Amino acid sequence: MDTFLTELAAFAPAVLFNIYFAASAIPIGFVFAVVLALGKGSPNPLISRISRIYIYAFRGSPLFIQFFMFYSLALSLNISLWKPWGVSGWVLHPLFIGPLVLILNTAAYTAEIFYGALRAAPRGETEAARAYGMSRFQQFRSVTWPNMIRLAWPAYTNEVVFLFHATAIVYLALPVIGLQMDLMATAKWRFEKDYNAFLHFSVAALYFLAVSLVVFFLFGLVYQRLMRHMPAPPRMRFQPKWIR
Amino acid sequence: MLDLLPQWMRDGLGDDVAFWLGYLTNGKHLTFYASFQFTIFAAVFGSLLAVMFGLIGATLKNSSFPPARLLGTVYASIVRGVPDVLFFLFFPLAFEQAVEWVMASQVCTPESLAAQSAAWPPCKDANWLLTTPEYLVMASVSLGIIYGAFATNVIHGALRAVPRGQLEAARAYGMSAGQVLWRIHIRQMWVYALPGLSNVWMLIVKATSLLSLLSIADMVLWADRLGAPNFLKSVGLVHDDWRWRYYLVLFVFYILVTLVSERAFDALMRWAGRGILDESRR
Repeated sequence: MDTFLTELAAFAPAVLFNIYFAASAIPIGFVFAVVLALGKGSPNPLISRISRIYIYAFRGSPLFIQFFMFYSLALSLNISLWKPWGVSGWVLHPLFIGPLVLILNTAAYTAEIFYGALRAAPRGETEAARAYGMSRFQQFRSVTWPNMIRLAWPAYTNEVVFLFHATAIVYLALPVIGLQMDLMATAKWRFEKDYNAFLHFSVAALYFLAVSLVVFFLFGLVYQRLMRHMPAPPRMRFQPKWIR
Repeated sequence: MLDLLPQWMRDGLGDDVAFWLGYLTNGKHLTFYASFQFTIFAAVFGSLLAVMFGLIGATLKNSSFPPARLLGTVYASIVRGVPDVLFFLFFPLAFEQAVEWVMASQVCTPESLAAQSAAWPPCKDANWLLTTPEYLVMASVSLGIIYGAFATNVIHGALRAVPRGQLEAARAYGMSAGQVLWRIHIRQMWVYALPGLSNVWMLIVKATSLLSLLSIADMVLWADRLGAPNFLKSVGLVHDDWRWRYYLVLFVFYILVTLVSERAFDALMRWAGRGILDESRR
């Protein structure tokens, strides 16, 4: 019991790194995803095609490879770009590259969810808005956007939870600097010291589980708020469908 | 490799082409190409196991015996709470330790236990040395267990999508419960399960990129080795840091695999779904 509590305490700083990665990637990824989803649904063939290819490429390849690719790309540009600009200290830092790749990745997955919701939004409401003489921006602001968010929210919650799970591989692909370690790196490091796989990995799993539940609870509250106009708000089901 | 070509062909090639042909077919590159077999093996074997675990899990989840149902439900929900990479790393390590623990209870003597200074294994003789084939099998098994949980959800849903009337007709013919399950229920389930299983296959293919974490010399590891700045005393600098090019190749490789398997599954679904009324496809 005592070892378990020490173990819990030892992993507490580590979970902050995972939360940092997820929390910094989600808001920017959200905005980027909305742009991508609108781009994919755009009538302009060029914009639509570019967004389609982007979404397909990032959903069709492993995040692990994406991490290696972007990190090695950043490394090879070090001498020609980052050094002269004096930014190599933070451009090559895992705390910068990690969220960057996660943003690029989650934007693609989220955009696919939003695009699906965009197509499922009721047509009649858009037509009504047009009949009222609303401008295109007004139509988007008051009809398309709220519908899209409401329809996409349950799937988006899954995506956020799985993005949090995906932060586990940040430090498996990027170098660990000093004692800056997330849950997986801590578990591996402590395992290599005393070979107690069952203890260390279970505690890391426990932390992942706990944060997933908190995320799910918070997003459930938002969903209830989004659905407050409904007589009986539909319950959100946790379906692992959209996963990298 | 270039030496295999006849002289006139070698003369016909320009210097550049000859260089690239030679570079891309040198020994290290051939090992790199050969290492794709590990990825393919893990993907195929892993997904076979995943479907097997999925069938077992779905049968448990459908069972009328409450503890079995609970077991199936718990298994199907592990994937929701824990990252796949955590389990992917944990299972081989834990399995190795379990085997070594059993071995230690057989072969260790008090003297050898006292002589051991490291934390693990208990004594020197109880060390199970793992090589690539063992790691590969264990990686496939852990892929099978992780994505079997996804497949459990898929197959459970598909089992419920089979029309009741078909099962009732089978029962009316006097088939036993087992016969109904194997001959009618599971046979007809595949059509409904295919879209979900294609999703699981894509996940497994993407997860095979993690093999290098278990010290298997797969293509990710070779891309890192081949791309690293290459300096030979006799030639000088062959190339500087080319790792991103190799990773770009892998990136494109995975996208192509996704593209091809998407097409293949579409064709399979069309083939399997012929003659079946399905509202969702209209």
